[in-house]
Amino acid sequence: MTTTSPQSAGPGAVGRAHGWVAHLRDGGTTPWLAWTGEADPSTARPLPGAQQLELLRRLNLASGSSAQPRGDHGRDRTRLADRVLATPAAGRGKADLPLVGLPHHGFGAVPVDPATVGPHELLRVASVLLADDLVALGADPVTTTWAKPWRRRFRLVGDPVVTVALREHLAARGRPEGGPRPFVVAVGRPLDELLAHTWTQRCFETGATPWAEWLRFWRERDQLPDRADLVASVRRWRGHRPFVRVVTDLDRLPRQVGVRSVPAVRVPGADQAELARRIAAVVGLRVPAHERPGLMRTLQQRIPDSTVAPVVVPDRERDWVAASAARTVRGVTRAGYSVVGDLADLAPHAAASMASGPAGPDDQQVLDLAIRMVVDPGWRAGSARTTERQVER
Amino acid sequence: MSRRVLLHVGCPKTGTSYLQDVLFRNQKVLREHDILYPADRFDAHFLAALDLMTLPWGGLETEAVGAWDRLAEQVRDWHGTSIISHEIFARATPTQVARALESLGDAEVHLVLSVRDLVRQIPAEWQENVKHRSHITYAKFLRTIRDPARDSRIGSWFWAVQEIPDILDRWGASLPPSQVHLVTVPPSGADRGELWRRFSHAFGLEGLDLDLTAERENPSLGVPETSLLRTINQRVTSILAPPDYRPLVRELLAHQTLSRGVASARLGLAPDDHAWAQDLCRSWVEVMTSRGYDVSGSLDDLIGPDPGSFADPDVATADVLLPPALDAISALLVEGARLRAVEERLHEELREARDERDRARLTPSYRVKRKIVTSLEDSPAGRGTLDAYRRARGKK
Repeated sequence: MTTTSPQSAGPGAVGRAHGWVAHLRDGGTTPWLAWTGEADPSTARPLPGAQQLELLRRLNLASGSSAQPRGDHGRDRTRLADRVLATPAAGRGKADLPLVGLPHHGFGAVPVDPATVGPHELLRVASVLLADDLVALGADPVTTTWAKPWRRRFRLVGDPVVTVALREHLAARGRPEGGPRPFVVAVGRPLDELLAHTWTQRCFETGATPWAEWLRFWRERDQLPDRADLVASVRRWRGHRPFVRVVTDLDRLPRQVGVRSVPAVRVPGADQAELARRIAAVVGLRVPAHERPGLMRTLQQRIPDSTVAPVVVPDRERDWVAASAARTVRGVTRAGYSVVGDLADLAPHAAASMASGPAGPDDQQVLDLAIRMVVDPGWRAGSARTTERQVER
Repeated sequence: MSRRVLLHVGCPKTGTSYLQDVLFRNQKVLREHDILYPADRFDAHFLAALDLMTLPWGGLETEAVGAWDRLAEQVRDWHGTSIISHEIFARATPTQVARALESLGDAEVHLVLSVRDLVRQIPAEWQENVKHRSHITYAKFLRTIRDPARDSRIGSWFWAVQEIPDILDRWGASLPPSQVHLVTVPPSGADRGELWRRFSHAFGLEGLDLDLTAERENPSLGVPETSLLRTINQRVTSILAPPDYRPLVRELLAHQTLSRGVASARLGLAPDDHAWAQDLCRSWVEVMTSRGYDVSGSLDDLIGPDPGSFADPDVATADVLLPPALDAISALLVEGARLRAVEERLHEELREARDERDRARLTPSYRVKRKIVTSLEDSPAGRGTLDAYRRARGKK
């Protein structure tokens, strides 16, 4: 072991870099600038980028590992390390960044200290790792059973987080959606929450643009996304007045679909949705389009709990949201649809605008969740969990 | 016969679309000469590049699943020479390069890089950004790429696909210089066939009877046209999703309409930027000369043209923008009319289908059956009866 600092780019710097890679593969956590060991670079593969190396170091820190591999755990860790080092950063951002202190020819990206690589860059690698994990896991099977002949015929529209979960729950109990002359049940809620749920659910399906960009898209068009537009959703299913129910009181929703109760629905936090959004983009590159929904559904059911709140509509969009909600109320009133609850509940929550903190996901929180998922493969084990989660009635 | 792979990895804006179009349309002739260009669609190698580099691309990536492995398999199975060509391969990282080369098997790999001077590449890349939804001004684009930190998305992408020595370091590090071929784009005003002659020399296509008609090119825009497109982007980028932007703005407006303004001033560089770009190119030429690569054309082509008059696209006046704006409005109206005709035809087909269905329902027996079904569906018992009946008839 030498005492040379990696900050000096000498002939031994490449050896030190390969030594650091070996150290990280063994579960080490020493930052690059503090690293002084060496290894023989002659047989080594190309050096990974600073993003991959720093992510691996953070993973090692999170798993609380020592530098000595032990048995199966050590082999698993080395396998994971090799995967991390070979995983590309997704998207059109920066290519692999070289380490500061290595010989630099004057061409290519500017060398960096890996410790300064931001969470956004690390997430680009972590999301590919998790997407590959998800693809390897495969989609959980969908539970279905014989349809009960006496079931109430219904078609669910509106709040996607609620309707997707409810549709699946009811299908598993012999009450699939559809059938002749169904009641169109439109699940409404304050429009700001409805928009947040629409984006969140989309992240767990095909992916979406970032939350702020997505909201801006709809605001500048002065349109609502399909699933957040209750009146258009009802019309799309040719719902005739006697067969339409607009439900704003979720406690009364079960009766509208012919059951006494429904399980609580988990609303993913901002970090979970953002991570899913990034994973969905990579899954789209890994499997045929028809397989992605099943995989993303599996992710939604298995993603570990988070204490982070769902996204909220930022103040600058609230006037537009309020105007759109008023338009929806007018549309429902004019159409004469039956309302289960109070139409005033479609208005955005005034209190939400006072909510503290950022309206969208924070990259560091998303990275923390991603690292937790890579380090602890519990979410990939066994069948989908049914434990208590953050719930909403 | 020896197995060879000619791997053309860039750079963008060096006539690659034309080359790929010729190769795609002449696959049969090429095969007769033991040359494989494996592509079932024009953008097959683009999709393979997205797959290799894990690049989501406005939804197109969903068509790229497994594309690189399929391409590599066809190349491995071919007995003669294979050609792979797409300019965004230039951005691959060393790890991706290693994976790509490994997946090509034991064939002799030759790297081909087509290159052009930065004096022409910089304006062309800005235009390309504008044609891909960006509304960055030309001045800001230049500041971005001249920032040594290369911290922005635009800056990091630009240098990843345009910094020739770095691309050669990443792709050519494991190859002898004799297997690295540079094709320089001839200076402006050169004979139109000269670039093809250089390509065909590098790819060993000389003497083949190929159809060289230019069916698909990536035409450049004039200064007012690019400026107009950037202004349009400011309005529409945030409200037009990529699947709509591509056919309406990029194809219809940029490629089919605005690129016709051949009399418009061409975009260049201001004197200071021009000098900087030429100095940089000279340093690159020095490096490449010392490495001893095979060159089709001349490395002197990389220095670029002398400074000319500079028309700043950021200060284009309304008078200048008006003619292309009217062309754009006309094109969009014609497209709107065409789409209305398509919509009308579809409505007509739907009306005919409904009429046919209604005629089938006019019989008295259908009406009686319908009434019975409607009555039964109104109660749980009736629904149960109907379900049992349908099961018995095997209709469920």
